[in-house]
Amino acid sequence: MLFNSLTFVVFFALVLSAYWTMRSWTARKNLLLVASYIFYGAWNPPFALLLFATSALDFYLGARIAAAGSPRARRAWMITSVTVNLSSLGFFKYGNFLLTNFEWTLSKYGVAYHAPQFDVFLPIGISFYTFHSLSYTLDVYRKVCEPTKSLRDFTLAVSFFPQLVAGPIVRAADFLPQLVTAPGLKRGQFYWGLLLMTLGMFEKIVLADTMLADTADTVFGYGGPLQALDAWAGVLAFSGQIFFDFAGYSTCAIGAALCLGFHLKDNFRFPYAAVGFSDFWRRWHISLSTFLRDFLYIPLGGNRSGPVRAAINLMIVMFIGGLWHGAAWTFAVWGLIHGVLLVIERLVKAVTKDAAWTEAFMTRLLVGLFTYAAVCFAWVFFRAADFSTAARIVSAMAGRIPSGVGAALLPTLSLWKVGVVIGGLLLAHRALRDTSIEAVVTRMPRWLVTALWTLMLGAIILTQGNGHAFIYFQF
Amino acid sequence: MPSSTSNFDFVRPVPDLPWRGILLAVTLLTAVAAVAWEIRVRAWGYVATYTDDSDLWADRRGTVKPDSIVIIGDSRALFDSDLNTLEQGLGQRPVQLALVGSCAYPILENLANDESFHGTVISSLLPMIWLAPPPAPPYQKSVRALHRYRSRTLAQRSSHYIGLWLEGHIAFLNDDDLTLEALLDHLPVHNRADAQIPPPGPPYFANMDLDRRNWMIDQAVHPGKLQDRVKFGWPPLFTPPPPPSYVPKEAFLAGVGKAIEARFGDTAAAVKKIRARGGKVVFVRYPFNGPLKELEDKATPRAGPWSRILKESGAPGIYFEDYPELAGFICPEWSHLSAPDSVEFTKRLVPHLKQALATP
Repeated sequence: MLFNSLTFVVFFALVLSAYWTMRSWTARKNLLLVASYIFYGAWNPPFALLLFATSALDFYLGARIAAAGSPRARRAWMITSVTVNLSSLGFFKYGNFLLTNFEWTLSKYGVAYHAPQFDVFLPIGISFYTFHSLSYTLDVYRKVCEPTKSLRDFTLAVSFFPQLVAGPIVRAADFLPQLVTAPGLKRGQFYWGLLLMTLGMFEKIVLADTMLADTADTVFGYGGPLQALDAWAGVLAFSGQIFFDFAGYSTCAIGAALCLGFHLKDNFRFPYAAVGFSDFWRRWHISLSTFLRDFLYIPLGGNRSGPVRAAINLMIVMFIGGLWHGAAWTFAVWGLIHGVLLVIERLVKAVTKDAAWTEAFMTRLLVGLFTYAAVCFAWVFFRAADFSTAARIVSAMAGRIPSGVGAALLPTLSLWKVGVVIGGLLLAHRALRDTSIEAVVTRMPRWLVTALWTLMLGAIILTQGNGHAFIYFQF
Repeated sequence: MPSSTSNFDFVRPVPDLPWRGILLAVTLLTAVAAVAWEIRVRAWGYVATYTDDSDLWADRRGTVKPDSIVIIGDSRALFDSDLNTLEQGLGQRPVQLALVGSCAYPILENLANDESFHGTVISSLLPMIWLAPPPAPPYQKSVRALHRYRSRTLAQRSSHYIGLWLEGHIAFLNDDDLTLEALLDHLPVHNRADAQIPPPGPPYFANMDLDRRNWMIDQAVHPGKLQDRVKFGWPPLFTPPPPPSYVPKEAFLAGVGKAIEARFGDTAAAVKKIRARGGKVVFVRYPFNGPLKELEDKATPRAGPWSRILKESGAPGIYFEDYPELAGFICPEWSHLSAPDSVEFTKRLVPHLKQALATP
């Protein structure tokens, strides 16, 4: 079920009404569990069984880890959980990718092998719920949290519908404690949740889908050389589209959870105002970057074994982070580009040693602009269907057009839309960089909050919703 | 150690504002704005109508029974076929599966591959779009509709049914002219001289009912701004785009030629499959006139694709110009009949359909 669908509007209204009518906390949790499985099953009912199997297995393995008598046994149970979860993810998401690469490798050694293509449906949001579930056994293993005794609570923590299919990746250790006692609603919490949901829908439906998606699709879908203006417009449009799409989903999820009395952490903090790449990753998809930091980078050794090993660890993490997004080498290259940028940033920091000039306004402004430009460059590989498309777009962005004539694909109105929306996005992120949306709204006069909320709602209604799926659903 | 049985210490801040009053004001303002917009667009001539999307098409495809009469093709079949008249004349209400601006071959192929189907197919044959190769938008439109039919989720179905209820009551839910995107497209912004922009689709000029019957609205029937916008929009839409600059022209044309050649064979094969199961297929060339006729006749003369498809498939065809009672209709915007004329045209078409379908 999509947030930006009429079904969800009705579903959410029914769930909210029933939820706040019930007195018993157990009944409310049962309701949320059933609602979450309906939310997921409305897409493809049989895959709800896979979701349950993943959760039930990790519930069992979490208990085994906690009960294990020796470190070796604890480790064995943890490895079982990691292996089973990643195998399931690998089968559904990477099966054909691995086979294709296996075929290619054999062909390099003169072996002509044609693997059968598996017609496997990718369960929606599998990367997210696998990480939700896996975080539990890993945190129990790390002794960050104790195992829960309630299978119902754990399956609800994994399947809680606001964050189920596209994040944020909410760790069981952050969610399970909220299931212990019935949450109360702070003054204004319910309404603030509704406003956040409106903001998230506005970002997705109006800004991502209506203002930017066509431009990005046209440019990335074109098979020939482009004019530099069109290539840049397409890439900038995608930078905005993916932010509004994904941050919009996270904002909706946080808002929906708030309406139900739950508190989810931020997943985005104005990332396009980042000054440097480590700053960017503290602001973009925070729940994934902290997951990879805690469960991959630190176990690999993190910074503890010297700068060279730290650089290698970073590259491994970003490579895997890239592949997590999709079964294609373009995603891996996207991750590696970010890895290289992070390593270079560390080298530069080691050389400049926090000199005073690095904190000067102009330096920070230039570094901020460079960060955004480099992030956009990396987005080309993320969005392009293959490397030849990526190469064509990068060449066009650099003004290098093999035939000498690039196509002017975009209507002037699309260029204006990109200019206005991306300009506004960058200014907004710069202005809000060191604050939060809550702090800004607190300072706003109430008439302005009313006007902005009404305008967002009006624009959503006027757009008439086209039911575009969220980009991150495919991951 | 933090425990799953202890309380969570993270609490999101909530801005301290009089939220109840704000939500009330937002609700009132939004409701007033929506009502005002509804009144405004109704004054402009818009009425509540259904959006002809893949979901509505999939609904109709889902009603096809093994012995159904099915109409496929382009918008001419949608505008010019009156379902009530066909039901009276043929004894069975046809299922309307034609799609605006679409190449119907994938739908014919879908029916041919449906082993249970042994009914009747009445197909509009507009050669320029019937022969559209697979990457072209007319072909993709049918493919998308079929994909929706095959893979609709429960959530998509329920959104569609809720949407139908709203569309049946609210005039501003009009995806031709009144979406935010369509409204922005009206901004007077000139394109670059060398921009390769596809021509825009026609504005709103017809209402659709749940059976997917299209009725041309009065403003398009009578000479005026809307009629001009519609009719002068056809020639660019019916002019094939130039070959892409990044593919050698000869290679591109050879590829297109190969795809067109394959379409003749594929069409014949699909027709024969349906006929082999006892089904019937009849092709119809619906009326069109004015400069659009000159353009179409020049690009695809009747002796060309139309005759070849009939010959190779063995299916009967009804070409409106062959019969005086069908030839005299005037399409107000050169491509489709007005609502009253479509009823009359269908009445006159029925005997020819019966005769064609009686042919073994």
